[in-house]
Amino acid sequence: MKTTFALLAALTLAASAFAVEVGKPAPDFTGTDINGKTVKLSDFKGKIVVLESYNSDCPYDANQYKTGAMQDLQKDSAAKGVVWLLVNSVNPKNFSHRTAEQAKQEIADKKIVADAWIDDSSGAIGHLYEMKTTPHMFVIAKDGTLVYDGAIDNQPDPFHNPRTANNYVRDAVDNLIAGKPIEVSQSKPYGCAVHYAD
Amino acid sequence: MRTVLKPLIVIFACFAAFASRDAHAQAALATFDTPPAAHHTQVKLILSADTAKPGDTIFAGVDLKMEPGWHTYWKNPGAAGMTTEIKWQLPPGVTAGEIQWPLPKKLPPAEVTTYGYEDEVMLIVPLTLATNLSAGPIDLKANVSWLECKEVCIPANQDVEAKLNIGSETKISADSATIESWKKKAPYSSDLSITAWWEKPTNGDLRPLIINFPTRFISVRIDSGDFFPDAYDQFEIQPATETISNLGEIRLRKFVKKFSSDWPKEISGVFLYRVPDYGTNAFEVKFSIADKAPANDTILSTTNPPTALPSQSLWQMLLYAFIGGLILNIMPCVLPVIALKILGFVSEAKSSPRRVRALGGIYAVGVLFSFLVMAAIVIGVKAAGHQAGWGMQFGSPIFIVCLTTLVTLVALNLFGVFEVTLGGRTLDAAGNLAARHGASGAFFNGVLATTLATPCTAPFLAPALGFAFSQSAVTIILIFLTVGLGLASPYVLLSWNPAWLKFLPKPGAWMEKFKIAMGFPMLATVVWLFNIAASSYGKNVLWLSVFLVVVAFAAWIFGEFVQRGRKHKAAAAIITLILLIGGYAFALEKELDWREAMPQTDSTGSLKESADGIDWQRWSPEAVAAARAAGKPVLVDFTADWCLTCQVNKQTSIEISSVRQKIKDINAVALVGDYTHFPDAITTELQRYNRAGVPLVLVYPKNPDATAIVLPAILTPGIVLDALDRAAR
Repeated sequence: MKTTFALLAALTLAASAFAVEVGKPAPDFTGTDINGKTVKLSDFKGKIVVLESYNSDCPYDANQYKTGAMQDLQKDSAAKGVVWLLVNSVNPKNFSHRTAEQAKQEIADKKIVADAWIDDSSGAIGHLYEMKTTPHMFVIAKDGTLVYDGAIDNQPDPFHNPRTANNYVRDAVDNLIAGKPIEVSQSKPYGCAVHYAD
Repeated sequence: MRTVLKPLIVIFACFAAFASRDAHAQAALATFDTPPAAHHTQVKLILSADTAKPGDTIFAGVDLKMEPGWHTYWKNPGAAGMTTEIKWQLPPGVTAGEIQWPLPKKLPPAEVTTYGYEDEVMLIVPLTLATNLSAGPIDLKANVSWLECKEVCIPANQDVEAKLNIGSETKISADSATIESWKKKAPYSSDLSITAWWEKPTNGDLRPLIINFPTRFISVRIDSGDFFPDAYDQFEIQPATETISNLGEIRLRKFVKKFSSDWPKEISGVFLYRVPDYGTNAFEVKFSIADKAPANDTILSTTNPPTALPSQSLWQMLLYAFIGGLILNIMPCVLPVIALKILGFVSEAKSSPRRVRALGGIYAVGVLFSFLVMAAIVIGVKAAGHQAGWGMQFGSPIFIVCLTTLVTLVALNLFGVFEVTLGGRTLDAAGNLAARHGASGAFFNGVLATTLATPCTAPFLAPALGFAFSQSAVTIILIFLTVGLGLASPYVLLSWNPAWLKFLPKPGAWMEKFKIAMGFPMLATVVWLFNIAASSYGKNVLWLSVFLVVVAFAAWIFGEFVQRGRKHKAAAAIITLILLIGGYAFALEKELDWREAMPQTDSTGSLKESADGIDWQRWSPEAVAAARAAGKPVLVDFTADWCLTCQVNKQTSIEISSVRQKIKDINAVALVGDYTHFPDAITTELQRYNRAGVPLVLVYPKNPDATAIVLPAILTPGIVLDALDRAAR
């Protein structure tokens, strides 16, 4: 019976799938950043928010950072008043997990521009947003509506030059600001599986 | 809340009473431009031939050996990962074909399921040699790139090469057997008759897809199935698979997530199923997706119909409803009423044809009116948020008491104890049946026929009603009226063609004997109803029988001294009334407390029906959980006293020696869920399985993670035994 319930629960989740659904309000969450500060999504209402499922050990994510393309996007977004939240859902036993100190060092080394690096080692936010890969990107409009859910760009490999790819997040943010419809509002995220806790 | 009923007879009061009742590798960064030594996967290229002649097709095998714990990906990596790629550098005249992928495994975790390979995989590629290829050695080279993952993911690539000699004669290589064995691990190309349809209309970007593969014509027994889809850019067929059925068919539910453009009309991938003691069979399949379930689909049309239904299937359901109504005429629960109808026709045949037609029409109106009332109740119950089901009024003890009393009176009436004077006519001669079968008699017959028909379900009726119960009010009314039309139609037809009645003997003394004889099926009906009442009132049901005797006695006094007597009519009428009121007040109200059925005792003891019978325990979600936690298979029978199909299933396929023995052999737990009084816990459980009512028989496998096997509505011993066998593995 328990399994039946679990199955039904899973099904309900899949069917109602949508806690996260483009066009619907993005589910609120509360997390803690590496400085111990509480980060609540709804506190950013009135601003465009980008969520990034992050693990720079993953070659797909590493490609974005090694080339500096991700940091450029973060800088440009910050200049436009966009809030950028890194969500690291890697479980503490995994090699790619970062302690607060390691994370601070990584931000400095990689020149990451983000409003917060949220320690989601429990996977709560990752599961809530059904973050599947690193990277997996979400763009939330000023009114709290999820407007983009998917890949960082249109080249699903860890070798390409991200600056020549079509960056879906940049497009979504620019179109939001220009008040234009978002061309690609959903895509299949690509990358390494998020290393959730069991 | 209960409605105080005016005692007696008007059957709709009983209906109303029921209705008002409540119803990753630091490595990764450091080794990003990876030196081969950092791989966790060894790659080599082998060929099926050492020497081949021009025009041959040989096979290349790209072998990936992963270190323990590492995996690489299939052509559709799934929710994450990257497919392995082979970039050939071939001399002119050699062409590489498509990769033949061995069947992958689904890799955890559940939330990011991927398709891939662990330990080793060999990707087979056919190489076609041109006919004009000149003799001599050639080099076949390729660059293989892959993503290997464990706790971290590492992209890697490596150049591989092999030498092939072009000669006049084909010489197979030492590796050829290895290549052959890997070729066998690729899915067969096939022509499996798979049907697929969207379960629901679009609702957002996620849509359930049903994939159905009939297995009943395959001679081997087939277990669980799955579908591994190809990868698509515009949409994703999510890896999670839910098995809806695997008896007689493999029916799977997958969710498709759309990223852009339209919903796919055709998809391809690998369909696989497990054959116990043999292994897994996998097939390359490609199938189109229909917008709706096939019209003749049995599971979906009764349990989970699409919300927007095209008129075509409504027409089919109406046809089913009509045929079902027609068949109801000869079902056991309606049979006693047939006696009344036959009498009616015999007695009326001599009247003017016009009157016969009128009575046929009134009978039909009586039937249709009853069905309209039932439709209204169903709509009302649904609107109140309750689950409605065919025969649900039989779950109401109040209804049962009313009906038992009514049928008793009908029997007494047939025995000639008293006469019924409906429509204000009085009788003077007992033999004058015409008066009794006047207009109101005909109407009453229609109502009675319908009331008695409700615990029965006939072939064709089940899909039509199952369909109706989940539809809009208009559709419910339409279906119910059509069933009514079916039920009434033979009599209406006969009344319009009285010539067809000529097979009946002329009215005479035989009619009185026949009438009395037909009283006995009515008595049998009383016994059946009484038995249902017993389950509501326990031992107190005695007071119902006392009441029935009092009513019978009153009926006799009424018939003998009021209707046929000459003197003291008024006194006799008063005695009749006193008996009825006294009997009602004392037996029903005081002793039986008939409007408050005895609460069900939730005993957990055995509900065995005979010494060697199945050791039934009372069903509860906790009982199922406990048995499953103990690693035992579980048989659950949701049944109801008023459900004839359930009783038939029990007699023919459950409470039988082979099933009893099987339950003992596999040490299964048998649980019975009694739905006679509509307990909420069972209603909830039925809804979970998309059922409008009982029967529902479930078999939970021993493996506590496996889902329950849902048995079909009509059982055979084979179905039950087979399900129990599978549950025990």
